Amino acid sequence: MKSILVSKILFSGRVISQLLIGVLVLGIGIIFETNDAKGKLYIDITSPSMRRISIAVPDFKYLGRKNEHSELGSKLAGIISNDFDLCGYFRPLDKGSFIEGPGAGITHDSINFKDWSVIGAELLLKAGYECIGQQLKVEARLFEVFSGNQVYGKRILGLVEQSRYLMHRLANEILFALTRHPGPFLTKIAFVGTSTGHKEIYLADYDGHNLKQITSHHTITLSPRFSPSGDRMIYTSFRDAGTVLFMYDMIKGETRKISDREGLNIAAAWRPNGKELALTLTISGNPDIYLIDTTGKIVKRLTRNWGIDVSPAFSPDGEKMAFVSNRSGSPQIYILDLRNERVERLTFEGSYNTSPAWSKLDRIAFAGSLDGRFDIYTISPDGRDLRSITQAEGNNEDPCWSPDGRYLAFSSNRTNGNYHIFISNADGENQRQVTFFARDQLSPSWAQQVK
Amino acid sequence: MKRNLVVATLVVFAFSSILLLSSCAKKQVITEEKEMEAPAPEVAKVEEEKPAVPAAKEEKMEEAKIERLKELEEAKKREAAIDEEKAWMERRAAKFEAEAIYFDFDKSFIKLEYRPVLQEKAAFLKDYPDMRVRIEGNCDERGTNEYNLALGERRGNSAKNFFISLGIAADRIETISYGEERPRALGHNEVSWSQNRRDDFVLVR
Repeated sequence: MKSILVSKILFSGRVISQLLIGVLVLGIGIIFETNDAKGKLYIDITSPSMRRISIAVPDFKYLGRKNEHSELGSKLAGIISNDFDLCGYFRPLDKGSFIEGPGAGITHDSINFKDWSVIGAELLLKAGYECIGQQLKVEARLFEVFSGNQVYGKRILGLVEQSRYLMHRLANEILFALTRHPGPFLTKIAFVGTSTGHKEIYLADYDGHNLKQITSHHTITLSPRFSPSGDRMIYTSFRDAGTVLFMYDMIKGETRKISDREGLNIAAAWRPNGKELALTLTISGNPDIYLIDTTGKIVKRLTRNWGIDVSPAFSPDGEKMAFVSNRSGSPQIYILDLRNERVERLTFEGSYNTSPAWSKLDRIAFAGSLDGRFDIYTISPDGRDLRSITQAEGNNEDPCWSPDGRYLAFSSNRTNGNYHIFISNADGENQRQVTFFARDQLSPSWAQQVK
Repeated sequence: MKRNLVVATLVVFAFSSILLLSSCAKKQVITEEKEMEAPAPEVAKVEEEKPAVPAAKEEKMEEAKIERLKELEEAKKREAAIDEEKAWMERRAAKFEAEAIYFDFDKSFIKLEYRPVLQEKAAFLKDYPDMRVRIEGNCDERGTNEYNLALGERRGNSAKNFFISLGIAADRIETISYGEERPRALGHNEVSWSQNRRDDFVLVR
């Protein structure tokens, strides 16, 4: 009788621990404890001229008894500090300027806020951590330095190997607390990489970490495009007879052939409903854009022109499509209205405008050339308000938008002649290189992380 | 006694005549036998001809040999001719594959100066109806690879249509575009770019 009881307890204990592990693996190990200064909007991200808030992120303090994973103290602070930098709303202060002594803690009473105000910090993120085996516990508090008020506080529980994910999650919540908008920290960027000598598709966190090679076709693989929900990705790869459009299932890890018609099967774009794709085929003898379903069946031919029609990109409502055509003599961007099949030219400046990308916030980014070099521009779909994003820094190509439309990613060869992925705010502010891999990284596509 | 001698003589005579007669009969038989063997000379003749047979054959063999030698010589000549023709074909094939045609930036029309090159290639294709050609369209690195894939496709199709206009069957021509993915020159200037805006021609045998 006693032994049965014991085994029952053991059993239920195991179930609980399994559930706990399951929760941890899913990365939802966030326990809430907050003391926020609620209601105050610290950063208005819709403001036209946004000032970057200076923030100090000292190394996380070890809170446990034995100092396991002592390297995490600066690593965790580094990840979240980099997030603050990349998102464009903050100016993380240089660690070398910190003057706080080692005795200070992470709670209000153990912090001398003058140590931080004197170096110009407006916000201070204080955090501590503890490791129990492979488990990681982080306690974080965000203070307004001027008043000493705690703006945000949270305890996070997860696995050590998930530390990047946990920090991105923390950053996202902090940004949400300050702006009422989630940040880009839990997004992923797919791109074409040439480090193997072939062109293959790679996947990385938005900050360039956590790299994974997706394709191994050992040939030329191009144009990755995430589905609107980020669960699938289409791309074009060469086979013996030419190009083939493939679909990669991000969750199952399976690849399926979508279109391998004679000639070109290139540069597909997702319609925002996730059920249809536009791509360029040459079955008529000329490169034209067709609408196909996700099994590859042609739904409709969208362009009928003597010239080249490529690189489709749908408007957020899916009723319009930007594309590149040389029908007027040089490559320019046009917009097709799918409801009445009317086509209007969008770009007039420059002799070569290409790669349109239509944001969720209804703005079109493209790569254009005035003097032989390529730069990124954005324009309103009605043709007004043309802005240059990059200027006089190498070639800048292949723009794409973050899922929320607040950031741009593009490839640039400005640093060393090789192309790397850069991200910036939608207005071109805060351009940051996020990939540093060998050879070239090209043609980014940006998506929400799939859970 | 005299009587006995006469008798003896008679007996001897008789015997000898019998003998004689019998021998005559024998002779007759022999003659008859000989007559019976009359075809024998013919047989002999045949036998006589036997030694004559190898002589005639030698003559014929000699002729055959000559014939064969002639044939061999002719075959050799033919082979040599074929070899020569093959070598000639290979030389032409090598030239066919070595000579690319080049395009202006962002253009896919065949420039006047490359028409003779394509005409020569078309003549080659007409001479060797078993051969097929794969035209590979290429671009320089400027612009997007998506646009350049389309441009390369059009460059390939320009040459294809030119061949068709010269009477080459469409099913003997395939095209593929590599866009900007297979540059021949790796520089980032017009000298390299001009070499990369091209159609390559590959024979499919």
